[in-house]
Amino acid sequence: MSVLENLKENVIAGNESKVLEYTQKALDEGIDLEKILNDGFIPGMDVVGSKFQANEIYVPEMLISAKAMKAGMKILEPLLTEAGIEPIGKVVIGTVKGDLHDIGKNLVAMMLEGGGFEVIDAGVDITAQKFMDLVKENKPDILGLSALLTTTMVEIKNVIDAFKEEGLRDDVKIIVGGAPVSEDYAKDIGADGYSPDAASAVNLAKKLLGK
Amino acid sequence: MGRLLDLVKSSYSEKRRIVAPLVGFPGVKIAQSSIKLAQQNHEEHFKVVSSLVDKFKPDIQFVLMDLSVEANALGLNTLFPPDDSATVMKKHGKFGTDELALLEKIKFDSDSRLLSYVKTVELMKRRFPAGVKVGAYVTGPYTLAGLIIGAEEAGLMAARHPEKLEEICVFTNDCIMRYAELLLSAGADAVCVLEPSGVMLGPSHFEKFSVANVKDIVKLCHTADSDCIYHVCGNSTHLIEKMVESGVDGLSLDSKDGGIYLSEIAKNIQKNIVLIGNISPSRTIVYGSPKEVKEEVKALLESMDSFPNYVLSTGCDLPLETPVDNISAFMETGRNYTISV
Repeated sequence: MSVLENLKENVIAGNESKVLEYTQKALDEGIDLEKILNDGFIPGMDVVGSKFQANEIYVPEMLISAKAMKAGMKILEPLLTEAGIEPIGKVVIGTVKGDLHDIGKNLVAMMLEGGGFEVIDAGVDITAQKFMDLVKENKPDILGLSALLTTTMVEIKNVIDAFKEEGLRDDVKIIVGGAPVSEDYAKDIGADGYSPDAASAVNLAKKLLGK
Repeated sequence: MGRLLDLVKSSYSEKRRIVAPLVGFPGVKIAQSSIKLAQQNHEEHFKVVSSLVDKFKPDIQFVLMDLSVEANALGLNTLFPPDDSATVMKKHGKFGTDELALLEKIKFDSDSRLLSYVKTVELMKRRFPAGVKVGAYVTGPYTLAGLIIGAEEAGLMAARHPEKLEEICVFTNDCIMRYAELLLSAGADAVCVLEPSGVMLGPSHFEKFSVANVKDIVKLCHTADSDCIYHVCGNSTHLIEKMVESGVDGLSLDSKDGGIYLSEIAKNIQKNIVLIGNISPSRTIVYGSPKEVKEEVKALLESMDSFPNYVLSTGCDLPLETPVDNISAFMETGRNYTISV
């Protein structure tokens, strides 16, 4: 297997030490940065996403793959920035006010990074005002809102309403997700998109940006 | 009072349904209280659930849903917002085996807030009208493990060091069993195991970290002649077979929005397992009109007509914002419905 095939396979297997080893090896062999990203990391995470959607793997297995990918990307990211290679889009993501759960949001953030996006993670328990401040400051293409609880998902609507009231709604695409959130709910509250899982979030984000 | 399945079968023979929404927080508005107060004080808690029984007359009334009770009793940092349920703060850093040894020394079942839930159940059992079953909640073993070590760490541990996670889940289940024992002694007719984090696991992990332990809770409930119900939020379709293997009496399943098609599941499940659900707790009943709620409830009831083992309920707990008129519409539709087969 080539270095990049090995990199891809170890991303899929969630083998962090091997991912680090093959990332470094690829760099040492002088392989183009974009090629390492596009032929190693991204196809690896694509396979992980497909397996997740097909119920062949679940969150724990997806987490170890995403962690391994993120470790490798830490080596690659400063080099990509240095070389002036732009991410395919910018995303601000966070869990809404009153909700301290972040595993879903973290997975989406990692999958988006693995898909070539720059991700600004706002954290958990984020107010509508804080989301608006982050959007004004960072000018992302997409805002991702997450909630795990039925009792906090109503806050997603409040955030979207706040963006409308402040005249910021057209500045950013808003995508939503979380265990109790559905596509119909997303439509009802005026979101631009809904993703049932972390893997689909990458495809959704790309679609919204016409990539 | 009889076990849940007997009650459900007897109602079905009379062509009506048992109606039991998972409703707690809206009672705070009716009783003019606050979630924080009710989750801290058993008299206030009883006032809240009692207002729901007076207003809606459900067949089963649960205490307020609170996933922080056991974790808080284990000394985990917990937030108590006035109008939101108490929430356990995220665990930072790695969880060491020395920490588990420390947790094992805590007199978990002497915690005042945990005991206030037990006292609430006692009051419910003593003062509720005859015919209203008293329901209590416990946190599931995997979810409690996730609260202790962090949900992400629990996921990673499931994949990397399952034996360590198994050890933690055995400990959490021991705590849950002690709490369940107190709730059953206080008179709980049903104990519902809340395992929301379980939805993230595949069937084999779910079996290892949750079901293997929940089997003991089921036995405990049956010894007390009470029922045990499994509740997993979101799309738990891939876990249903495993949940049934635990020996529970009922499955409380999330809504169609959450990916659960109840009538499809009912076709493939033994008739001695009661299905409980599954009106969406976050759409029509919160944002729609009473008329729309009635239509949605009627459609669900019609789809379940041929299944005797069914209780009309919500897919999960109703939020504080749920209009009282919509809960009344839900109850009225359930009460007035006549099974057509």
